Amino acid sequence: MDFLAEHQLYIVLTIVLIIWVGLGGYLLRLDGKVTKLEKSVKK
Amino acid sequence: MPRYLLAKLSLLLWLTGVIIAGIAMPMVPSPERWFELPIIPALEQKARIIFFHVPMSWTTLVAFIASTVYGIMFLKTKKLDYDLRSVSAAGLGTVFCVLATVTGSIWAKFNWGSFWNWDPRETSIFVLLLIYGAYFALRSAIEVDEKRATLAAVYSIIAGVTAPFFIFVMPRIMTGLHPGAKGDEGGSTPVAQLHMPANMRVVFFASIIGFTLLYFWLFSIRVRLARIESSSEQS
Repeated sequence: MDFLAEHQLYIVLTIVLIIWVGLGGYLLRLDGKVTKLEKSVKK
Repeated sequence: MPRYLLAKLSLLLWLTGVIIAGIAMPMVPSPERWFELPIIPALEQKARIIFFHVPMSWTTLVAFIASTVYGIMFLKTKKLDYDLRSVSAAGLGTVFCVLATVTGSIWAKFNWGSFWNWDPRETSIFVLLLIYGAYFALRSAIEVDEKRATLAAVYSIIAGVTAPFFIFVMPRIMTGLHPGAKGDEGGSTPVAQLHMPANMRVVFFASIIGFTLLYFWLFSIRVRLARIESSSEQS
């Protein structure tokens, strides 16, 4: 915690990374759902 | 399971690396180690915006040019699939354009003192947003698919021709606040002429590549969804 208090840039980095991981996971899930939808439409 | 899962995971990892490098590489007065960036006078930590804001602008241009190319291909072949691609590219281009405008505006507040300064580059991106806003207004006003696609394709060609002019030419022939404006040929910062240290250039181009690939991924999702939508409307 002391490290983060001294280096505030890393707090920004941590927050951005959490948002980015969430967005990336969401994109992968969305892509998977579109693939599933495509398969069900083809049937 | 998404198609090309490994490639998509690699892209996410690539962009994670860009984010970590772009935000966390320390800025020191005289860099000695490979991961240290120089402190740019007057910009300091704010210089990091180049790793995110410029690639967003670049992706905007890629998307608008793609929209134009698909517009031309639609006019040549009359296949509605090209219209779906054209509108998907224009939509993504607008999203990236808004992101570039918002990030630039927040940065401007802390560097130039105000969120909006009507600098030539700011004005040109504003006009570009209006042009593409009109594109979507035009599309929503026409109900017949073929007619909408034809008119939108013609409009996308005209709009696409203006995009490089507004992004590359106009901000350079007029005096302004952005680096590279008239009277700033040498570049007041290392950004204008890409006179960046090697490690900064690596992160910058890695970001450009990452953002471009991210655009293609988002584009494929949008086009596939648009195809499903149009096939379900027909059936």
